[in-house]
Amino acid sequence: MGAKAIAEAAVSSGLEAYFGYPITPSSEIMENISVLYGERKYPWFKVFLQSASEIESVNMLFGAGAAGYVSMTATSGPGLSLMAEGISYAYASEAPFLIIDVNRGGPGLGNVAPEQSDISFVLNSLGHGGVKPIVLTPHTVQESMEHVHKGFELAFTYRTPVILLTDALIVHMYDTVEWEPPYIVKPKVDWAARGRNYGQRHIINSIYLDPPELKANKERLLQKQKEIDKIAESECFMCDENLDVLYIAIGISARISKEAVLRLRENGVKAGLFRPITLSPLDKDNLLKYSSRAEKIVSVEMNEGQLAQEIMRITRRDVDVLPYLGGYIPDVEEVAEAWK
Amino acid sequence: MEVKQFSSIYENGVTTYCPGCEHGLLLKFIGMALDELGITEKAIMVGSVGCSTLAYKFLNVDYVQAPHGRAPAIMSAIKLLEKDKVVFSIQGDGDALSIGIAELIHAANRGIPITVFMYNNMVFGMTGGQMAPTTPEGMKTTTTPFGRDIKQMGPPLDVCKVLSAFPQISYLKRVVITPKPIYTKDRIMYSSKEAMDSYKAVLNALKTQLMGGFSFVEFIGTCNVNWKMTILDSKKYVHDVGVKVYPPGLCRDAFGVDKK
Ligand SMILES: Cc1ncc(C[n+]2csc(CCOP(=O)(O)OP(=O)(O)O)c2C)c(N)n1
Ligand code: SF4
Ligand SMILES: [Mg+2]
Repeated sequence: MGAKAIAEAAVSSGLEAYFGYPITPSSEIMENISVLYGERKYPWFKVFLQSASEIESVNMLFGAGAAGYVSMTATSGPGLSLMAEGISYAYASEAPFLIIDVNRGGPGLGNVAPEQSDISFVLNSLGHGGVKPIVLTPHTVQESMEHVHKGFELAFTYRTPVILLTDALIVHMYDTVEWEPPYIVKPKVDWAARGRNYGQRHIINSIYLDPPELKANKERLLQKQKEIDKIAESECFMCDENLDVLYIAIGISARISKEAVLRLRENGVKAGLFRPITLSPLDKDNLLKYSSRAEKIVSVEMNEGQLAQEIMRITRRDVDVLPYLGGYIPDVEEVAEAWK
Repeated sequence: MEVKQFSSIYENGVTTYCPGCEHGLLLKFIGMALDELGITEKAIMVGSVGCSTLAYKFLNVDYVQAPHGRAPAIMSAIKLLEKDKVVFSIQGDGDALSIGIAELIHAANRGIPITVFMYNNMVFGMTGGQMAPTTPEGMKTTTTPFGRDIKQMGPPLDVCKVLSAFPQISYLKRVVITPKPIYTKDRIMYSSKEAMDSYKAVLNALKTQLMGGFSFVEFIGTCNVNWKMTILDSKKYVHDVGVKVYPPGLCRDAFGVDKK
């Protein structure tokens, strides 16, 4: 199951602390991690704690990140909403951690069926003040495992919160995977707040009362974002020639859209799929390259068109939306039909 | 006279607290205690949001700035990962008991060996003197212009009573940090008892943490600026009214550190 694979990948990749508050459909990740805690194979896995709320979880992640430890949680929309404040602080003071958001139906309590309706939330400032975490979007169980590993690495390389945005379907899916443990990330953390230890003081802070100081810090973060932009990654499936239609999708919608693309190809329609692997930073160069070759762009997503917004902003083109709302999953036939 | 330099306190550091406020005194006691116990190098302070936020400019220890009210969650994580370090925070009464009471209670209930020093000035000081859960009945604040009405707002929140319910707390104490005015024939002097008591509480709270227990000390102090009183009147208020609402005392001392 996706959740079990994510748990294995996290712990074997060097997870040192897990803090979490149960919420469907993410709880299986926490449960699967809990059984790995204390295993002799994983001596680096130091802390597993069920927090009292997502507010507590995110601040514990912040504390662990500030002290230079590899930490993560899994949650879903309502929990992510509560975490926004802590993510803003961590982003500003550069504390690394990984949050897996198993997207469920929203807004409000919504339902526990899969949706992809947290896209706008994570992309358009996840917290107050302008917050841009790295966002990864796996579309298979195998890729989920790889993204957990990559998430830890990116979090520590760039000292920033990383969101792995996935959905109830991938997390509950059974799939064959290949994984070679142990696969450890060992970050260098001479900046971490672990005590002065007869050396320099470490300050993990987001308060800059003087405007010039805050301006300088924000500019520094923006400069860092330019580096982060270089890691943008995408896949373009069957995109080698001029296209009648370019589908755009992430996660499970992308996996289903690949099927639709193959069917259209059988019928002589030149279809392709552009799939952001990192949703933030988005691979603008390739998006522009492939979209410019396509007659038509169709965004397949399990929400009202949040990804399409982003695509329209970048390509400055009209994008058709094939929306699935309330927990419905894209249908291969319907996706294929949408090229017309 | 020889002036002792405390390695945890910045040399020549001048706090920016309002004149007459005991926030700075508390900082000094913490710095002195860290040095006396020889734990400055392994101390990690988690900053709260309120007037104590600026503490990081004066205490020369590792520092993580928490969101408003969340310091106990951050401290818990750090301590669980860095077991041989000393982790503490200075929270305000609003930070700890209004927005952050859930984080405080759960950290306390788990008994994670960390230390919370709570400066209770009975208002939100930093934001300009609004009501706090601790504001005494009848006290006028910028959000209770006619005085706190306990029928609507409930009585002032007594954190020592609240935390007494949690068996895993090892040290729980309330002291007055405001020096008591003493009137003599021709001048006013201040008692030094409060400073001695407060320093002892800081020291023993940290000792408790070193012995593996959760410790919490509430310091009853002033905020003359927001109480709109003179410094002298604010100190009198603490000793005339404050101590009645918040009687000082030792609520828990599992390791017997206060007796030694
Ligand atoms: C989420 C959030 N809400 C509100 C504030 C505004 N705020 C800053 S300090 C404070 C109250 C501080 O009062 P207290 O904890 O008693 O500290 P004091 O300044 O009195 O020492 C408030 C409401 C904030 N910083 N963050
Ligand atoms: S506002 Fe009140 S609590 Fe804050 S420094 Fe001034 S007197 Fe002290
Ligand atoms: Mg206060």
